[in-house]
Amino acid sequence: MTSQPAPAPPAPTPPASLSATQGGAGPADDAPVVIGDDTTGRSRAASRWRRMRWPLTVLVVVALLVVFLAVVRPPTSAAPYAPDNPEQGGGMAVAEVLKDQGVRITHVTTVSEAVSAAGPDSTLLVTPNPSFFADDQISALNRTGADLVVLNPDFGMIGGVSRNTLDSTYGETDAPVAPQCDDPTARAAGDLALRPGLTDTSTAEDGVRPVLCWPDGLGAYAYARLDFPDRSVTVVTDPAVLRNGTVLEEGNAALALRMLGHHEDLVWLVPNPMDVSTGDDEPTPAERGQVNELMPPGSAPVALVVVLAAVLLTLWRVRRMGPLVVENLPVLVRSAEATRGRARLYRAARARGHAAAGLRASTADRIATRLGLARSSDANTVVDAVVAATHRPSQQVADLLYGPPPADDAALAELARRLDILESEVHRP
Amino acid sequence: MVVTWRAAALMGLGVVPVLLLPADGTVLVWSAVVVLAGVADVVLAASPRRVAVQRRVPGSVRLRSEATSELVVRNASGRRLRAVVRDAWGPSAGAGPGRGSTERVRPASGGAGRHHVDLPDGEAARLPTTLVPTRRGDRTAGGVTIRSLGPLGLAGRQVTLPVPGRLRVLPEFASRKHLPSRLARLREMDGRAAVQIRGEGTEFDSLREYVVGDDVRSIDWRATARRREVVVRTWRPERDRRVLIVLDTGRTSAARVGAADSTGAPRLDASIEAALLLAALAGHAGDRVELVAFDRTVRSRVVGAAGPRLMPAMAESLATVEPVLLETDWPGVVAQVRTRMTQRALVVLLTTLDPAAVENGLLPVVDQLARDHTVVVASVADEEVAGLRSGRDTVAEVYDAAAAARGDLERTAVTTMLRRYGADVVEALPDDLAPRLADEYLALKAAGRL
Repeated sequence: MTSQPAPAPPAPTPPASLSATQGGAGPADDAPVVIGDDTTGRSRAASRWRRMRWPLTVLVVVALLVVFLAVVRPPTSAAPYAPDNPEQGGGMAVAEVLKDQGVRITHVTTVSEAVSAAGPDSTLLVTPNPSFFADDQISALNRTGADLVVLNPDFGMIGGVSRNTLDSTYGETDAPVAPQCDDPTARAAGDLALRPGLTDTSTAEDGVRPVLCWPDGLGAYAYARLDFPDRSVTVVTDPAVLRNGTVLEEGNAALALRMLGHHEDLVWLVPNPMDVSTGDDEPTPAERGQVNELMPPGSAPVALVVVLAAVLLTLWRVRRMGPLVVENLPVLVRSAEATRGRARLYRAARARGHAAAGLRASTADRIATRLGLARSSDANTVVDAVVAATHRPSQQVADLLYGPPPADDAALAELARRLDILESEVHRP
Repeated sequence: MVVTWRAAALMGLGVVPVLLLPADGTVLVWSAVVVLAGVADVVLAASPRRVAVQRRVPGSVRLRSEATSELVVRNASGRRLRAVVRDAWGPSAGAGPGRGSTERVRPASGGAGRHHVDLPDGEAARLPTTLVPTRRGDRTAGGVTIRSLGPLGLAGRQVTLPVPGRLRVLPEFASRKHLPSRLARLREMDGRAAVQIRGEGTEFDSLREYVVGDDVRSIDWRATARRREVVVRTWRPERDRRVLIVLDTGRTSAARVGAADSTGAPRLDASIEAALLLAALAGHAGDRVELVAFDRTVRSRVVGAAGPRLMPAMAESLATVEPVLLETDWPGVVAQVRTRMTQRALVVLLTTLDPAAVENGLLPVVDQLARDHTVVVASVADEEVAGLRSGRDTVAEVYDAAAAARGDLERTAVTTMLRRYGADVVEALPDDLAPRLADEYLALKAAGRL
């Protein structure tokens, strides 16, 4: 029927019944007229309050909680060796004991603050610096006149604070050893397992000779004390004496408390790696909080105006022109997903035999249909028919259509190509 | 409360006085000026809650053709209304920008369906928005948002009014282009039957005088004996046969078919096109057409509509049919057919030849249907799979081709089984399904198998 040439009659217009679906009904003039949204100022305020009250309550509660905690809990930090850090690596344990004993602790983080806070009759503790001190910073620390206690200094710092009577070296420890020196502080602390790292380089001309304690037997010491005429300098290479986590081991606490408790004033310097101040330079305007001096006059009010304009711009853009319209979205699954998924499974499982069998059976099916063979024809019949149609050797055709599965992916691709060629050679008899 | 860019610009202008008199006080005074102007603008703006809004929407429109949603806005606020009005529609309603610029109304930027309105008190305006829907079904409008600005245009008030609006989007019926040629073939069958063809596929029409060339076997001897001249019987294709179109809206109808680089359309849409063309053709051939959309329950039904009422009823009931993510209940389909059709009928099952789904669903019941009725199973094939079949460039493509070949073999097996049970099978790409199904119908009609 479909191939019958249709004598073209004058093109009939689609019947009238179809056009009824085209235009539909005209605009509905009886649609309801809406005035307002049945709210008043009072009802809108009430609904706004109802909507906002829970979030507001939560906000207020959180704010109160924050204020309460801030009042009740003393501020703590997480900086290593800080006197207000209660963690394992902090120094709060030693600081609290010292405070109880009447020592006033000044916590500073820059050299310039340390220089202004420390003076004669005070102790200046320098905790390990994650970076390093510049030479002028070290001399600034030396000039304060305060007794200096330096924990785990780097190579430059050791030379600087000891006037080159000490040098850093490498040492190890595995068990507590006796101080083996005359220093009263060291003797009070007793046996300690401090990592040594100091060696004596002083000569007779230096005037002051360091007292070195806790040796490792190979010439490295963990503790050195220099008594200059105006002040003393103590160097400890192992900061474990100060850390909350290790202060209770052996005599660490005794050593720390005796080192730091000599004077009523203790300046506790936790160095900030970004700090380059030396205490005798002019503070920059930024440090004094006077950025304005660097700006042209009138820039602050202008900036304020610009910020206010930006706020208004934000308010303009943020208000949406009515709510979004909800749309139910359709399912978006492609029908070919199933086929593609199956192909990926074949590939992942390297099921070349399966894939080749599919290609072969499909080709054989099409060829059989084209040659007018019955669907139930066996392999020999199909091969004979193909051989008759293409004049190819019988063995080759049988191999192509019913041969062994391909050994690898390249063979599979080659098989697919050759099946295509074979199919293109078969024509209707 | 809304502010506009003008308020921000006015605030920004404050840079000039501040530069002339650089002090914090200047900023404070200027801010106060801006705030006061804004508040005055809000107070002087016409209340958007005292504007009468009516939305006029055509009842229905065909997919991808144009409809106009019209807002009638009447200003009853007692003040001049300067506002932006948004006629909100969902994305698939395909709202374009407002149309038609007049003194009172002009299209606004910023999105579809927005209009600037400038109305004196007591006057009204129409705001037309063009809709070109991209999805079938009921498209429901959102609210109407009115942003009423004050005389300075710095700030204003905004409200969204719940104005109802619904547009029913009917199927596109793109396959109607195939209808004229099929109708011509139908007429042709008519004439041929009258002259020469006799036997099955025809029913007795009338008696007329013998003319040379008529088949002598069609001479009605009894009637000839009663009259003086030789009389022949004439035949015409059977009429008043019953056609039941069963549209499968189960999960397989949700899958998208189409070229690999498009988002495609659900199988159901192609099935609907085919159903519409078949209904139009059968309706013209004088058969009684019924339709059931079914998955586990009846989703839509057309019964007893004939003549000019048939196609609108079909379009209306197919407009809102959506795929349901459920397995189709084929015994339920058989029960439906049994209750609807007591005498022999043509039952067209518009479904998917998914081998697994067919083996478990349709195959066990198709013989029950085929015993009592002529059954045609029509299925939408996938163009993308057809493309996969011929890929040879990479190893991955060869595996794709192998998987597609396997799928073909399984589908062929299922088709063979269905044919063995007495059902006819039509499988075609989405665009070809409607004409192929129409041809199948014509072939059945010509063969008298209805």
